[in-house]
Amino acid sequence: MRLMVLLIFSFVALLLQSSTFNSFQIWGIKPDLVLLIIVFNAFLRGHREGAFAGFCVGLLQDIITGSYIGLNALTYMAVGYLVGMTQSKLYKDSSLIMMFLMLAASLVEQFLKYLLMSYTGVLISPLVALIRVMIPTAIYTALLVPLLYKKFQHSNQNGWLSGRDV
Amino acid sequence: MPRRIAYKRIFLLAVLVLLTLALVKYTAYGRLSVSPVEAALRDALSPVQGLATQVGHRLKGLVSFPFDVVGMTRRNHELSENLKKAEGQLRQLEEYRLENQRLQKLLDFHSNTAQAMGFELTNAAVISRDPGNWFGMLRINKGSDQGIQKNMTVLSPEGLVGRISSVSADTAEVLLITDPRSGVGALIQENRTPGLVEGVSPATGQIRMVHIPTGALVKKNQVVITAGMGSLYLKGIPVGTVSTVGRESSGLFKSATLVPFVDFDRLEEVMVITSSGAPGSKVSLADIPPPWGQAEKSGGSPGTVRAGESASDGKAPVKETSAEKNGGGQPAT
Repeated sequence: MRLMVLLIFSFVALLLQSSTFNSFQIWGIKPDLVLLIIVFNAFLRGHREGAFAGFCVGLLQDIITGSYIGLNALTYMAVGYLVGMTQSKLYKDSSLIMMFLMLAASLVEQFLKYLLMSYTGVLISPLVALIRVMIPTAIYTALLVPLLYKKFQHSNQNGWLSGRDV
Repeated sequence: MPRRIAYKRIFLLAVLVLLTLALVKYTAYGRLSVSPVEAALRDALSPVQGLATQVGHRLKGLVSFPFDVVGMTRRNHELSENLKKAEGQLRQLEEYRLENQRLQKLLDFHSNTAQAMGFELTNAAVISRDPGNWFGMLRINKGSDQGIQKNMTVLSPEGLVGRISSVSADTAEVLLITDPRSGVGALIQENRTPGLVEGVSPATGQIRMVHIPTGALVKKNQVVITAGMGSLYLKGIPVGTVSTVGRESSGLFKSATLVPFVDFDRLEEVMVITSSGAPGSKVSLADIPPPWGQAEKSGGSPGTVRAGESASDGKAPVKETSAEKNGGGQPAT
């Protein structure tokens, strides 16, 4: 049940990213709303649930976009696992800590994606990838944390995402 | 005795009536001046009258204030609602105006440039884009049911947008030329120098022309067009202008950064070339403004390969990306 809610949230996030957020691009960049869900979930639920939810949500994104199926599933799974590892080490109620965590998670996720894209033959200059895609996306995504983290945390404790299973 | 008193009263009344009638006659409208008595009275009374009038107004205002407040609140609410509606209508009208401008451009393109180039076009609206920042893809609202097929060329009135990469019954995916997986056989319009236009990253909005022969004269602001030559893209479609020129790391070729004619972030409608035949007779290419008007100045019809112009038999081999290789060609017309 909880996984279904996460998938529905992610589906809505994907719809927004592919439509509405085209009008809110900054420097040609859109935020990664799906990553916000993956990282929030992994940070609050730990590495097992984080990795599993990351894989499922990534697979959903791959199926919707229809190319390179597995690319997002693998990267989101890895990020979910890594962020989940920090669950017991960092203070959970601070949006600031979450912002820095999101910044790091986004950079790692995009670096992994870049490696996988290179593996599939999609070649982008490393400098262009770092300066024009990775860093701006990570900053834009991290800046959305204060708007959404508390709501997600509340939902995780008392709302739709408060169930035990993933 | 009482009768005498009665007569006296009647007499006085008659005198009073007569005097009053005379006075009425004397003061009738149209006389030139007022009497001194009237004037003095009027002057003496005027400040008092003015004050009394003002007090009257104030009193009226004071008494009617609560009723006015109720009325004003209701009126204010009505006006606010009307204003909101009017603002909404204005925004809608502005949206219609902009849409009209865009559609007018498409219509002009259909009736002039497309006819001169011999293109048959299908209009389509952009419905969504790739959710990430790495790939330049967009989805349009026309698919195989409307005659759209894989690898058809996609345009806007400004120039080349990309090609159809996959099709469903009612939608199609467009691979933009800014996508790093895209490769377009191209020519520098002025001196017919061949090269390959690759996407850099959709975020930059830039494209790059590579494999330009080192001896070729490449300058800023030169126009680059599609080369045709058996490529997926028809010949003569404007791609962009040269921004900077450099040398490839191998040292064997030059490369150039291009600024595309199309603003990919603002695309709302595109056109798909569904077939290409002979150029129409009504409109001449010479009548069309550049870069389209100049695209075919060296002759040849769209999609054809002219002798000695092929990149593969020229000085520099033009690499086709796997995307182009796998695609096949423009559907037969």
